[in-house]
Amino acid sequence: MGATIDIRSLTKTFGVGPAAVHAFGPVDLTIESGSFVSLLGPSGCGKSTLMLMIAGLLDASRGEIFFDDRKVEGPRTDIGIMFQDNTLVPWRTVEGNVALQLELRGLDPRDYADRIRDLLRSVKLDGFQRRHPYELSGGMQQRAAFCQALVHEPDTLLFDEPLGKLDAMTRESIRSDLQTLWMQKRPTVVFVTHSIEEAVQLSSTVCVVTPRPGRIERRIDIDLPWPRNLEVKASARFTQYVREIQGIFHDYGVL
Amino acid sequence: MTMVSSSMPPEPGLAARLATRVAARVALALRVSWPFAAFFIGFFLVWEYSVVIFKIPGYILPTPSQIAANGWADIPRLLDYTLITGAESLIGYALAICVGVPVGLAIAFWKPLQRTVYPFLVSLEMVPKIAFAPLFIAWLGFGLLPKVIIVVLVCFFPVALNAIHAFGSLSDELTRFCRSTGAGPLRTFWKVRLPAALPQCFVGFKYAALNATVGATIAEFMGSDQGLGFYIQIATGNMRPDLAFAGIFFLTLLGLALFGAVSLAEKLLIPWHITLRRH
Repeated sequence: MGATIDIRSLTKTFGVGPAAVHAFGPVDLTIESGSFVSLLGPSGCGKSTLMLMIAGLLDASRGEIFFDDRKVEGPRTDIGIMFQDNTLVPWRTVEGNVALQLELRGLDPRDYADRIRDLLRSVKLDGFQRRHPYELSGGMQQRAAFCQALVHEPDTLLFDEPLGKLDAMTRESIRSDLQTLWMQKRPTVVFVTHSIEEAVQLSSTVCVVTPRPGRIERRIDIDLPWPRNLEVKASARFTQYVREIQGIFHDYGVL
Repeated sequence: MTMVSSSMPPEPGLAARLATRVAARVALALRVSWPFAAFFIGFFLVWEYSVVIFKIPGYILPTPSQIAANGWADIPRLLDYTLITGAESLIGYALAICVGVPVGLAIAFWKPLQRTVYPFLVSLEMVPKIAFAPLFIAWLGFGLLPKVIIVVLVCFFPVALNAIHAFGSLSDELTRFCRSTGAGPLRTFWKVRLPAALPQCFVGFKYAALNATVGATIAEFMGSDQGLGFYIQIATGNMRPDLAFAGIFFLTLLGLALFGAVSLAEKLLIPWHITLRRH
């Protein structure tokens, strides 16, 4: 099970003086251990800013974040992180890119050979270990990046629109892989997205983020059975959740 | 007793296989680049026969065949001078890289230098470096040193400026990824920053390789008693454009050799880069 993330009166302001831009907050949010929480909002609403602050990669202007009562004061190294533009490097193979996560941590990839192989197999990349990223499709690259983010067995995962650049079919397929993994291991997941459907399908809780300044407008617990397969997605309750969220954005003038 | 099973088909000899491969490569090269080869040969044919047809005197424009014949007659001196100009270019070029890359690194990673040395370098880039050549000759005389310094001068800027750009432009995502692993600056440098910077560094290295022989030649024009630049100048003064062209030919070979060596190093070091991938 993953960490419980406690966010208290978190605010982010860029710049100083009269030119300062109040980008985000104040936000109070508790992300329960083992939950899958989406930060859902239009681009520029500050959801990525919030994710970077949770990761300790961006300082908060005010407020605090706690991982299981430990305050975040610098980059957290016990997390797995994934971005829209993947962090695969072109000079390493798929296998080498996964190993990069370990090498940067001072670990010997040889001790993790089995884990790397199993991970790649779980996302259907077996047979592509020795390929370079440019030899793979966008979807396969994101699957490889997924393994890179997971190889050190983090119990908290932060995803910043990891499927943002993929086609609809590939997205659907990777979503289901992601869900399977979450159901097995129950890490705490923070998932940034602008797709309402994606958020409802994957999340135990959807946080609706509205812009200028970004804040969490609503917290909606998604009470749908797992796994959220095509059947669940076709159900009336699924559609209700999607409508409800669309309504919030509509009232806010985004939709 | 034989170790090889008799059922195995006889392996063709190494020489035979090599010959087949070489023949295949040559055939491929011919198929792809015959228009270039034809144009190249055509250019020299037009040159040769224009000189003959229009009765251009040899002291104005010699024919390619005269250049080849008279150059060949003076080959020991030409080779000698090629080595000298080559040494000047190569030493200067290597020094420019040895100084330029660390300077680029320091500026990319150390903020105070970005506000002081960097703008200074950029404004110096506007100065035609070759204009310093007579000064260095005046200060340091006719020897090897002033030539090397001028080559360093014309090679340093592309190397340093590209290195600054190379080391200062790692993507936000990769920077964040590295930070989230807790890796120290040194490990991050070796595993990510350095390899990520190599392609842009090579842009500078290649540009500088083109500059190196130019710098050496002009330095020799300014004052020297040996080298291809000196040779070309003397030949021109003696109304021997055929020998001047022969000197130019060897300068071209020198430039090609340097650029080719750098391109080869690039191919070996960063075969994964988008401009070098084989499909």
